[in-house]
Amino acid sequence: MSIVQINDLKKYFNDVRAVDGVDLAIDQGEFLVILGPSGCGKTTLMRMIAGLEKPTAGTIQIGGEDVTELPPRKRGVSMVFQSYALYPHMNVFNNIAFPLRAQRRELKFDKRQMREKVVHTSRLLEIDMLLDRRPRQLSGGQRQRVAIARAMVTQPAVLLLDEPLSNLDAKLRANARDELRDFQRSSNITAVFVTHDQIEAMGLGDRIVVMSEGKIQQIGSPQRIYDDPANEFVATFLGSPSMNILSANGFRFGFRPEHFLPKTLHDSPKNSRIFHYYVKRVEYLGSDRLVYGYVHGHEDDLTLAKVPSNVRASLDIEGDYEFAVHYSDIKFFDQDSGRRIEQQNLAKVL
Amino acid sequence: MFRLAYPLDNRRFVGLIFLAPALLYIVLLVGFPFLLAIAFGFSDVTVGNTDLNFVGLRNYLAVWENDIFRQVFETTIRFTLISQVFILIFANILAIIFTQNFTGKWFARFIFILPWATPVSLAMIGWLWMLDTKYSPIDYLLLQTGFLGPNGILSNNRNLFWLATPDLSQISVIFVQVWRMTPLATVILMAGLSSIPTDILDQAEVDGARFMRALLQIKLPLILPIMVIALLFSMITMFGDMTVVYVLTRGGPVDYTRVLGLYSFQVGIEGGNLAQGAAISLFAFPLLLAMAIFMLRTASRAEVQ
Repeated sequence: MSIVQINDLKKYFNDVRAVDGVDLAIDQGEFLVILGPSGCGKTTLMRMIAGLEKPTAGTIQIGGEDVTELPPRKRGVSMVFQSYALYPHMNVFNNIAFPLRAQRRELKFDKRQMREKVVHTSRLLEIDMLLDRRPRQLSGGQRQRVAIARAMVTQPAVLLLDEPLSNLDAKLRANARDELRDFQRSSNITAVFVTHDQIEAMGLGDRIVVMSEGKIQQIGSPQRIYDDPANEFVATFLGSPSMNILSANGFRFGFRPEHFLPKTLHDSPKNSRIFHYYVKRVEYLGSDRLVYGYVHGHEDDLTLAKVPSNVRASLDIEGDYEFAVHYSDIKFFDQDSGRRIEQQNLAKVL
Repeated sequence: MFRLAYPLDNRRFVGLIFLAPALLYIVLLVGFPFLLAIAFGFSDVTVGNTDLNFVGLRNYLAVWENDIFRQVFETTIRFTLISQVFILIFANILAIIFTQNFTGKWFARFIFILPWATPVSLAMIGWLWMLDTKYSPIDYLLLQTGFLGPNGILSNNRNLFWLATPDLSQISVIFVQVWRMTPLATVILMAGLSSIPTDILDQAEVDGARFMRALLQIKLPLILPIMVIALLFSMITMFGDMTVVYVLTRGGPVDYTRVLGLYSFQVGIEGGNLAQGAAISLFAFPLLLAMAIFMLRTASRAEVQ
């Protein structure tokens, strides 16, 4: 059952179409990640769900109720900002209690219950020993937990998270990602998570919404959008290094660097397309070798191969090699629209 | 081999150049007169006899035992405190209004800043007309609406004598001071309000805070340090001010609107007793210094992050 239903949502800032016709259904209890480059409209979309931004057109329903015109406090949503936006002049207890006090009329509870809720939520997030501290006395990870506790204390229908991990250092981030996911699963809350970081998106999301230029490019599980991209944007946006895209007669095709390997490594060469590959440069990255070179006949486009280090084959600079890609790993795109095209017959065309 | 270095590559030299105007200003226009005032305060200098003879605390004792001085001192403190209350209230309200979005905001801001941008003496001449004993436009409006004149609600007179009765003259002076000082405090508070991160205000909104809660629990506490600074500026300006009363009332009627700055000027310059004048104005110094230290400490303690 979907808890959030968004229909043809648009937000124009003068001439800029920040969000340009988004349809989206978010399921109860799911972890949905909205992924896209900066300026793609993902934050605007989230702010519209929160009620901080008024849509130019379209509707938003939460829990079956049309909330398009309602202020944030009547939507049953809460939000964690990238900066955590903790109230600097209040201690942790008052920070967490703030939404309870503010929504007292809507939520109906007494002082004792409020205290219990704050303490209970802070225990869940293991910050109950910090309740007397001021935000500036906390570490980055602790601040993030306080922000999440404050967002969770009202038991909202939807938890909105705007890049809440990007202020943590790399080491903490992986840990925080894991904890966030555990916490979301155990509390069974619906989470919408905005990020531009594809690793975060792939790691966290039940489903990923890929956005670009105010439009949804694809919705699907992490594996689906990686293996089965709907268009050239999604194909090249996900993956690092990104997918090699080459032009052929009247269409474009692409394959990921990790699928582009020396021919000898392919067990069934007849199911693979063989390319003559000129190696320009090799980077040794530890687990892989990243090879820069040109495919014969496509000398304008730099083509990358990612060869696992345990493949002993020698790859010399300025050498010519036979590389191959399995046909099923080659994706075809329309030359003009960039949309995926079916490939059965096209495989022979290559 | 000797090579001529660019003088501007020398950090100390460049630093000195940049500091020089401020240093000159402080030494010549603040430091020197201040030290001179102290020297005068301990001497028997007058306009007629400019020899500096040290007389110890005589001037200060004489001033302190002077009943007029005590009344002037009390009036100054009273005017300053009462006007600060109104300035703070109005400045807060206006700063909040001017940081909202509405059409004509820039024009409204511009109009509003005018009292502060106008030279004080010029503005005071305007108020002198507004509050004129006979031709005050305010009186005229009150007369036309039946508040004044025969059987008037406020008075049977055709005039209220804004600057001529003990109570009204004090109210008028305080009102004009509030009118003059509110824009500066407002501008400072506006800067404070717009420095609050939008994330925090958005967060308060999502957390369910309505206007008043966001204002009282988030915005005002966050701009408290800036409010203290605004208060400090306007208090110090007002405490030493003499222009307003000099133009409007000359301290009258009797001594009701005589404030420290004016009294010092009247005794020291108009009366020619430089030593006494200096002593009078120096009474303000320890008070203002203590106030400034106290407020700046409060501000830095309340400061966030």
